[in-house]
Amino acid sequence: MAECSRDGRMRKSVLREIVFLGAVTVAGLVADEPVHSQDWASLKESFRNIQSVKAEFVQERHLQILKAPLVSEGRFFYLASGSLRWEYLSPLQSVMLQKGDNVQLYHFSEGAWKQDMAQGVEARRMVLAEMSQWFQGRFEESRIFRHSYSQCPPCRILLTPGEGINKFILGIEIVLSDRPGVIERVEITEPGGSATRIVFRNVELNAGLPSKVFDEP
Amino acid sequence: MNFRKKPKIGLFALVMLCAGCLYTPETALLPGTQEDLESCVALFPSGHWECVHKIEGVIQGERSSSMLGIIRGYPAGRELHTVLLTPEGFILFEAEQHEHAMSVLKAVAPFDSPAFARGLMEDLNFLSLAPEGGPSKWGRTADGAILCRWESPDGTRREVTLSTVRKISLRDKHGDLAKEALFMAPFVKGLASQMELRVHKPAPYRLKMNLLPGTP
Repeated sequence: MAECSRDGRMRKSVLREIVFLGAVTVAGLVADEPVHSQDWASLKESFRNIQSVKAEFVQERHLQILKAPLVSEGRFFYLASGSLRWEYLSPLQSVMLQKGDNVQLYHFSEGAWKQDMAQGVEARRMVLAEMSQWFQGRFEESRIFRHSYSQCPPCRILLTPGEGINKFILGIEIVLSDRPGVIERVEITEPGGSATRIVFRNVELNAGLPSKVFDEP
Repeated sequence: MNFRKKPKIGLFALVMLCAGCLYTPETALLPGTQEDLESCVALFPSGHWECVHKIEGVIQGERSSSMLGIIRGYPAGRELHTVLLTPEGFILFEAEQHEHAMSVLKAVAPFDSPAFARGLMEDLNFLSLAPEGGPSKWGRTADGAILCRWESPDGTRREVTLSTVRKISLRDKHGDLAKEALFMAPFVKGLASQMELRVHKPAPYRLKMNLLPGTP
């Protein structure tokens, strides 16, 4: 297999992965006030009050090659201070751990966690940096997406990629739940009919999260 | 330190190294039946088929990586369509094959080299499509295993062995083992629930593939 090199192709790959993984991992976008009456500014402001998020998710990957979507289940934990655990429980057991600038990837095989090959780590570090802006409502600082806000109900945040990126991501829609401050689902649309839909459940805000959640696979 | 032992150790190492280069003689076969041959061909899926595997790749015995692999096949047209995905669902590689023509639909670094595409599709052909044409030999080995052998004009030799383990192997024109695949039961609609591909040449790597429930 080819090795990863730090050239232009790698940067392009990283950028693509940023967009996709960032979209997939946007679940930390939450607000702690009723959103029906919120305007964009107050919604942004509410992000700053989030200290932690814990949730489960079901991800459907729709691809032209498949008759039925590929369904994955997982959970994630987020601390506003800069830690994240994004974990798939099935069908493939894997976890991405971020604490500060340190990002590690593991997959579970033959009864043990194994560290993944390093080539994806840099991409994910950049993904997490992008996401941290989103978690804090700093959409306007993104160099990848233009944002817009759709009035409720349902409350939606639309992310539109710039020129170039739209060759593989047409748009991302974040739909907020009726429950104040909770994301209901994220939908990512790609050219050619492919799409990803992530539905969140059992969302807990500002719960105490032990440190080992972000330290150990 | 005993320096007199060194030449013996060196000679031993040389013999061991050369052992891997020796031509492997063909296994003597007892006559087989038509059913034996059909059993060999049945190791490869037939009709339109589609499956999803979780894949663990091990390179140089140490570094490993996990991903999802989708394969759709139609053996009559020697058609294959494959997608490699990260656990998050990000497409790393997508390619199609019709007869002997391959087209890469999507590829990101480090999966975007022609060598990777060619190697991956060769592996999928090896695992999924029965060799073209009839076998040069088939029959039973001394221990009762069914063995079918196909020889290519380029001198390579592909063998299917059916015993307690079901296996496909490929030997190069020198008789060296280039790659082998082990198929583990249970079989779901003709597809093994587990496969292990061991590639020895030119660069060694190993892929463990587990069929996901519900696919096919």
